[in-house]
This record gives sequence, C-alpha cells and structure tokens, in this order.
Amino acid sequence: MLETFQNRQGQLVEALIEHLQLSVVSLLIAVLIAVPLGIWLTRRKKIAETAIGVTAIIQTIPSLALLGLMIPLVGIGALPAIIALVLYALLPILRNTFTGLNEVDKSLLEAARACGMKPNQSLMKVELPLALPVIMAGIRTAMVLIVGTATLAALVGAGGLGTLILLGINRNDNYLILLGAIPAAILALLFDFLLRQMEGATATRNKAKLIAVSTVLALVIVTPLAFGRSQETDLVVAGKLGPEPEILMNMYKLLIEEETDLTVSVKPNFGETTFVWGALQSGDVDIYPEFTGTALASLVKETPESNDAGEVYEQAREALAEEGYVMLEPMQFNNTYALAIPRDYAEAEDITAISDLRNVQSDIQAGFTLEFTDREDGYPGLQNEYGLDFPSVVSMEQKLRYRAIARGDVNLVDAYATDPDIAENDLVVLEDDRQFFPPYQGAPLMKEETLEEYPEIEDALNQLAGKITDEQMSELNRRVAYGNERAYDVAKDFLEQEGLL
Amino acid sequence: MIEFRDVSKRYEDGTLAVKELSLTVNRGEIFVLIGPSGCGKTTTMKMVNRLIDHTDGKILIDGKEIYQFDIFELRRNIGYVLQQIALFPHLTVEENISVVPELKKWKKERTKDRVTELMKIAGLDPKLRSKKPAELSGGQQQRVGVLRALAADPDVILMDEPFSALDPISRGQLQDDIKRLNDELGKTILFVTHDMQEAMKLGDRIALMRDGELILVGTPEEILASEDPFVLEFTQRGRGELDA
Repeated sequence: MLETFQNRQGQLVEALIEHLQLSVVSLLIAVLIAVPLGIWLTRRKKIAETAIGVTAIIQTIPSLALLGLMIPLVGIGALPAIIALVLYALLPILRNTFTGLNEVDKSLLEAARACGMKPNQSLMKVELPLALPVIMAGIRTAMVLIVGTATLAALVGAGGLGTLILLGINRNDNYLILLGAIPAAILALLFDFLLRQMEGATATRNKAKLIAVSTVLALVIVTPLAFGRSQETDLVVAGKLGPEPEILMNMYKLLIEEETDLTVSVKPNFGETTFVWGALQSGDVDIYPEFTGTALASLVKETPESNDAGEVYEQAREALAEEGYVMLEPMQFNNTYALAIPRDYAEAEDITAISDLRNVQSDIQAGFTLEFTDREDGYPGLQNEYGLDFPSVVSMEQKLRYRAIARGDVNLVDAYATDPDIAENDLVVLEDDRQFFPPYQGAPLMKEETLEEYPEIEDALNQLAGKITDEQMSELNRRVAYGNERAYDVAKDFLEQEGLL
Repeated sequence: MIEFRDVSKRYEDGTLAVKELSLTVNRGEIFVLIGPSGCGKTTTMKMVNRLIDHTDGKILIDGKEIYQFDIFELRRNIGYVLQQIALFPHLTVEENISVVPELKKWKKERTKDRVTELMKIAGLDPKLRSKKPAELSGGQQQRVGVLRALAADPDVILMDEPFSALDPISRGQLQDDIKRLNDELGKTILFVTHDMQEAMKLGDRIALMRDGELILVGTPEEILASEDPFVLEFTQRGRGELDA
C-alpha cells in the first residue's frame, strides 16, 4: 500500500486537485441555480412539486448514462462532467431551499410585513437567514453526492480520483483502487467540515471566519488554474478503457513525435466504444485505436461479409470513408472474441473447441460482458451457429468476469484473445472450429480532415501495419496489467526493439 | 386619529368578516376592540396597516385615506405588536428594535441612541442588548416586541392580543407599562383582546364586536352600565377570561 502510494504520489496529487476543482465548481454552479429557483418556487407553489419532481427524475438517471448522453452534445473533458454533476446536485439543494423557506414561522413573516419590509427585504433579512440551516443541509448532501459521483468523470477524460480507481480495476491492483477511493472519502468529509464552518460563521455573522472559509474554497478553484497543467498539443490521441488501448495510443504518440514535428497528448481510459467514438465525432479527440470488427458492427452497423481479416478491414474502411473517416492499415494481432474455461475443467472434460461445449451444456455457468450478450457477433450468434443454450448466463464488467471465473463463480467467460488475464488465471481459449467470430484487428481511426491537415501522420502510423503478433500484444498487456509497468515505457520498449525509434 | 367610515371586508368566497363598521379612534387614547373569537376584531385592526385590505368604505389616518399612502411607508409609520411576539430569532435585541429605524434609513448613531433610550424607558437591563430573543424570558421578549413597535416613534400603535401568551404576573406588569407609556408619550393605541378585565383596565374606550358588527362603543363605565343582553352576558363572564 505504502509502495503504491509512493509510486503514484504525483499522480495522486494531480487527481486530487482535478477532483477538488470539478467538485467545487459543480457545487457552486448548482447552488447558483437551485437556490434562486427554490426561492422563486416558494412564490409559485402550484408548479413547485412538478419542478422538484423533474430534478428527482434527473437523479434517477444512472450517472454513466448521463455522461454518455452528454458527449455528443458537449464533447469530452471537464464540461460534460460538470454538467452531469450539477444536474445531480440540483435535487437536494432545490428541495431543501423550498422546504426551508416554507417552514419559516408565518408570524415572523407577518411581523416583517408589518414592520414595512418589502418582499425582497423580508427575503434577505428574515426568510433566507432563518432557512439557512436547512438550505446548508441540502448543500452538504449535494457535496457528498458530487464528490462520490465525480469519480466517474475519469470516463469522459475529466480526470479526478476516478482515474486511479479505473486504473486499479484495469491493473488488478486493489491498493490503487483504495488510493483513489480513500482520498475521495476524506475529501467528502473535509468539504462537509468546511461547509459546516461556513454555516456557523454565517449564523453568528462572524465575518472574519466567513471570509477565511470562502478564501479556502476560492483557492481550491483558482490554484490548479495557476499551474496551467494542460498545454495545448497539435493532436489528441485517446482510447478505451484498458491496458491495450493505452499501450497502442502511446505507440501512436511516440511514432508521430519521432517522425514529424507535431506534438501529441494522450487521454487514456475513455470508457466504452460509444464514449470515445462520440469524442472523435465532436472533435475533442483526433485519433484512437479501433478494431475492424467493432468499427463494422458498432460504428457503421454492417454485418461482416466475410471472416477473412483483410476483407473485413476493407469493408470497414470503405464504410467509414463514406462517412468521412479514415481507418489506416491494421496491425497483425487479432483481438477477437474467444471463449475461455479453466484449464483443469478443460482437461477433465476433454474440451478443446467450442463445439465440445455441447456435451457439457447443462453444467455451464457463463459470465459474459454485457456487450457480448447483446451483439450479433456475440452470444446470440453463437447460439445459432453452434446450437448452444447455457442454463445460466450472467453479465458483468470485463475485468470482473475474470475475477468471477478465478473464484469459481462461473466456469465459462468471453475473452479478448490478447487479454493477459487468460494466462494469468490459467484459462484455455477454445478453438472457434466453425470460424464464427469475425476478426478484430486494431487500426488508427481519425477524421478525414485530420489527415488532410496533417498528411505526414499516415506514414508515421502505417509503420505499425502488420506488426505485433497475438503473443506479443498479450505479453505487452501483461506487463502493464500485472507487471506494474507504465504503458508509455512498455510502448517505447517495443518500438525500440522493432527498430522504429 | 383613525376613522373607519362604513368599512366592510368581503372575502372572495363572499363571506363578510366586517360589516359597515364606523368608528373613530381619538388621538392619544387607548381604544380596545373586544369580542368573542371570529367577531372580526383582529381583521378590523389589520386593515389599518393594510395587512388585510378592506373592500368597501374608507379608513382615514389624520384625515388621509390609507390607500393614498405608500404601503411600506404606511406600515413603517404604524407600530405593530403581535400575540406570538414574533421577534426575529436570528437577530439580537438591539437589532430587533432597530428594524424599522433601519428601514427608514436613520443614521446609525441615532438608531443606537434610540435603542438606549427605549430600553431605559422599558426598564430593560442594557446587558440584554446583544442577547438573542431565545435567551430572554417571555415578559422580556414582549417588552422588546413593544419597543420594536415604538422604535421609529410612530403616532399609532396596533396591538393584537399582545399579552395573552404571558404568565399573569408579566401580563399585569406589561399592562401597567402600556398605560404609563400612553400617558407619557401620548400614542394612539388600537388594542385587540378577548379579556374583559384587560379591556377595563387599559381602555379609554372599548368597542364590543360580534359577527363583524359593532354592538357598543363606550368608556368602561358606560359598558358596565349597559343593559344590552349580549353586553351583560359578556361582561359577567368577562370578570374572568372569556372563552376564546
């Protein structure tokens, strides 16, 4: 644990600052929207319930879905994260502002009127000060909510402590997960403390204390800006969640910077296909590694006309070109879907190919990714092609299905051919004896206009065409996921061995 | 001087809370409105500073119709004491008393001197200035309530059953204070109560109301001498406290 902390200290500080900034800015905006809205609603009681109901509905939208919906609209980075966090924080602040103001003793309102206060004077001098404890309770609830949910901001490239948590899940490193989760919890407590101080200072009208607490909060927002951490680069390379995309995007960066004068920044761990594809469309991301099979099935929504790797690439390339995208030449390895079972089980039952599963069908407890259970080139197609129907199928996150099979909770998983977890967990990949799974070769994907602006990147990236075998990719992935090496170092190492740097 | 000329209050659902009421409250007197609950006495009082607006007739203060004043200025120039006391709990005693002078934009120094003067008149310990209302006894709280009404030196003060929530000893003391203040300062006080004993003790004149109508107006002696059956019933019961 201590070792993890020391290794990741710099990263932790950066993530913490990003997290703070996201949280404070979101809370501030939420307060600026919800408090005046709450005040306005106390004067429009008829629509108050409806308005509060709407914010309650927003709160029931899963945070991941909200982030996914935001990308096509506003792109990636801090903006979609802040919008989502603000939307989540509205309900507690709005409801408590409304309730707090409504609960002010009616005789005090009459006294204020009888003293000759105008409505806004009554609001500022009497109603708001008296409702303050309830409003602050709402703000504090919102704060805890924001600090917790902000861990998901890492999925849309906004950074924060979620980066460490995602990395921890990817690298099978529980300490790294804790390194992200514990500071998030401490941060929530710290904010709660600061807000309570602020409330106390307002109630007793202790100006010195109020100024002190406000200054601390202001510094939290401004300090990171002063560091100016993100310098503009010519190109932004991104990739999906996981070690393999991170290694590949670092290779792209290294090759482009070696061969051209362009500067490149990398944004790893971008959630799933829809997130990074949305970011490419909106122009927040310039290049990302995509698989030929996925491009065909998910991006242009065509069924592969062939199972030949070259033909699948051609079909994907042509379909993408019609929509204004360029897919450069693919690498050699084929990160296709595969089915994997524990080695001892395979040996005991003499299973080597997918067809053999029919003999043990009733014993199979499958753990598949959600994507696999739904895709035509996944379980539904597999059922048709091989005539299989397993009695138990549960869906789970891609990393967690390996943990489940290691624990013995399931005895069959879908796998990606280059996952290092296959060897690490002593699993065997079953032969696709009917060649059902289409090929998935990785290749750089970008907009046509990106290539027109920087034509030199084509030659730089095509150096990878036909390179990297299944075994090599699997080994590189293992070094990052289990060997505690940085993706950048692993990428650089490989390119040097290949004589490309 | 407050004049009611054929004043009625009709609510939107058509019910009449006050029916064609006419009476005059003279400058410098304590005028008590009394009657059983729901008789319209509080409504009558609240129409003076427009917490409730009358629908027919005219209400004049020193000869000028109240609708001709700016509503906020009108209220700032009329003191108001509530049954619930209703001091602002987040403000100190001094800040509570200063509310109306501040709304009238008095100079800070003048407001401060006024608070000192008023607390002396009411016999309140100067140490209480910086205390919150919750730290005061009920009797002290309503003394501050009365001072808040007096702060900007209004000619007219409205009091809505101001002492009914207090214990008998505090109530007696505050009644004596009001009588004394009225003698010394010459304020016109419109006082609402359902306690006949209180009315007899304080009122220069008393108006008895029932069902939104005036039954009888007179001095305490005249009320006692009346042969009207409702008055008799009321005054007999009124030796003690009336059923609210």
